[in-house]
Amino acid sequence: MEMRSGDEAAFRQVYEQVFPVIMKVAFHVTYNLDVSEDICQDAFVRFFDKNMVFETLDDAKFWLIRVTKNLAINQIKRKARETASLEKLKQVTPTSSYKDGASELLFQESTESVRKAVAQLPEKYKTVIVLKEYAGLDYQQISKVLSISESNVKVRVHRARKELEAILRREDS
Amino acid sequence: MCLDDQILNTYLDGELAEPFKSQVEEHLGYCNACRERYQKLQNLKKTIDDAVLSDEDIASRQENVMKMIENTCFKRKKIPFFKRQLRINLPAFATVAAAFVFVFVGSIVYINKESNAFIPANVDNPIDESNVNLVNEKSQKTIDDYSLEEIINSLDKRGYTVDLKLKSVEPVKFEE
Repeated sequence: MEMRSGDEAAFRQVYEQVFPVIMKVAFHVTYNLDVSEDICQDAFVRFFDKNMVFETLDDAKFWLIRVTKNLAINQIKRKARETASLEKLKQVTPTSSYKDGASELLFQESTESVRKAVAQLPEKYKTVIVLKEYAGLDYQQISKVLSISESNVKVRVHRARKELEAILRREDS
Repeated sequence: MCLDDQILNTYLDGELAEPFKSQVEEHLGYCNACRERYQKLQNLKKTIDDAVLSDEDIASRQENVMKMIENTCFKRKKIPFFKRQLRINLPAFATVAAAFVFVFVGSIVYINKESNAFIPANVDNPIDESNVNLVNEKSQKTIDDYSLEEIINSLDKRGYTVDLKLKSVEPVKFEE
């Protein structure tokens, strides 16, 4: 069903479904909640203002993910020029779903080390792993968003995991 | 021959097509080394997945952004032409109005002036004030301007003998 991004009802429908996805994308690229919120806001304002026609909801979702990913990457490049990467990692907001103190500490350590490892990945691997693991896209969808072949996505996912594993192992030892 | 990580990762993501998928499953069934490696990759994936941003954090941000969009984008939505509020810059409007009145009045005066000029057919020079002489403004009098008596008196004064005859009237002849 065709939809127009400037139509309020259609916009709300897309927003409900896509906001969590692009928020995860923005967050796992920048690892800063406030910056991620600004990026999502920027992406949705552009989406509304451009008043584009999309064939399906998925097309709108891919457009938003692509814009968010680009905004987030631009943001970290800008940030990298200003501050050191370790400063960014201090801004990571820990989640609080664990009530037991010991396990919460363990969870935070694990979460933080994974996020730190993801932040260290080269841009092309980071993008693919974020879209795969956090945005929940399959290889075909990732290839559409990034305009690369599916086999290229497959290779990048494999290399990204390999690199993450190496970083996490180094940190453990 | 054992499976490499790329195939295991593809299988782990559920992206391996048949018949490779069945072949991998069969291999994992009997190869301990590959099964162990596969489990490690599964754990790694789970560790990465667990670092995802929590739904609570997303929900609060989602609400904030929607409020901002409602206050900006939805309010400045395009208004149909006839429902638009008319805003006029008063000095600019007064200037335009004055210019319009000046041009309008000027053009009417000019048109009226042009239409006073009477141009008869087959006459090169239009008749206007410059080439029309009114009768009462003649500088020189012609013979038509004088009466017969005045003409006779004038001639008499100059020494002429005037013999007057009326047409169609025969002079009376007296017999001697």
